Amino acid sequence: MFPLILAVVAKGDGELMIRLQRRDPQALAELYDRYGQMVFRLILRMVRDNGAAEDLVQETFLRVWNRVGGFDSDRGAVGPWLLAVARNRAIDYLRSKGHRTESTIDLNETEHPALFADLPTDVFHFDLVRQVKRALEQLDSQAREAIELAYFEGMSQSEIAARMGQPLGTVKTWMRRALQQMRKALGGAITA
Amino acid sequence: MTCDELRPDYLLYALGVLEEPERSEVRAHLERGCEACAAGLGEARALAFAMGASGDGPAPPRQLRGRILAAAGGVPQRRWSWFTALVAAGSTALAAAGLILYQAHNFRAELAEARIEIERSGAEAADLRQALDLIQAPETREVTFGQDQPAPPRGRVFFHPSGVLLVASRLPAPPPGKTYEMWLIRGGKPVPAGLFTSNRQGNAIYLYRPPTPPAATDVVAVTLEAEGGVDAPTSTPVISAPL
Ligand SMILES: [Zn+2]
Repeated sequence: MFPLILAVVAKGDGELMIRLQRRDPQALAELYDRYGQMVFRLILRMVRDNGAAEDLVQETFLRVWNRVGGFDSDRGAVGPWLLAVARNRAIDYLRSKGHRTESTIDLNETEHPALFADLPTDVFHFDLVRQVKRALEQLDSQAREAIELAYFEGMSQSEIAARMGQPLGTVKTWMRRALQQMRKALGGAITA
Repeated sequence: MTCDELRPDYLLYALGVLEEPERSEVRAHLERGCEACAAGLGEARALAFAMGASGDGPAPPRQLRGRILAAAGGVPQRRWSWFTALVAAGSTALAAAGLILYQAHNFRAELAEARIEIERSGAEAADLRQALDLIQAPETREVTFGQDQPAPPRGRVFFHPSGVLLVASRLPAPPPGKTYEMWLIRGGKPVPAGLFTSNRQGNAIYLYRPPTPPAATDVVAVTLEAEGGVDAPTSTPVISAPL
């Protein structure tokens, strides 16, 4: 149900982004209506605190609003950009809460709007989200945990190895195998 | 490494968590325009998006939408925001100060984004009240620097009869034993205007308030000098802002 909505809303995104670039506040309202729930759910899952999640959702949309000038409205995919920004805000928060030592990795490098141009068009295939979910569920539990720590907690492989009490080489092997398995399970769903 | 060997690392790279040496390997492919890696990263970003979108959970509270729109209302677009840098330099006094700025300039979205960062940083307060008074004074002159330079730092200088405020971003923290020194240059002659540093994020905010008003100045410059400062600059300016 949800992925289908996604497929529909993604269609008008280019036009919406042009209006955002012209500083049309109504466009921001529409962007929120399209993606607010998705952003909120992701952040809440990561930070597990309602108040913090609300602040981070706000930060996410304001950041996009302030940086939309660098976005290519013809070729860019706003959903993936928005979620990348949201994920980074949540990881920043987790790090600042002192749950773990600060990583040397610069998150800002991963959220530049130009990176979200020319993504495979089928990113909005209505089934993709469900397929990815199923592919993740099919992984063995340790590999899945490792991938989830990388995504939802922003951990590097060394940090994951330390957290799981496993040698780094083992974690790398698990993750490489799991990602190959996911690629196979997704078949052509991602490739344009 | 070949593209095939790097393929399983694309997702981690896109997520910003790939470590060395693989990270540099992927980057090297991208920098030389490797189409296979660029396409693979596009797929990885699509996969990351699907992972992030696949969760369930409650809907956001109803008032959040209004809060975000209110925070963003009427924001002018700016390529580089001195205000963000000011805030990133970090201070709790700035939260209050920001409200004044907001009334003055209506930078609401930046403010809201920034306020959360400040609250979280809990950083120590500089004398931002004075800084803000200076920014808002009608006789203050404001110039930007670094915008047309190939490399950072970038920022702004606010020049007022009673003091000079410098706000810079992407100014690397000085190496051990070194400090930044500001100079007020008049007719080619530099007058020392105090020492400062930037923080780990490369942000600096420095307010120079001399006991007597600074002489008329042509250029505000900054050099990297030995700790303790020097009487005349010994290196090429890293910042040079003609007034
Ligand atoms: Zn390659």
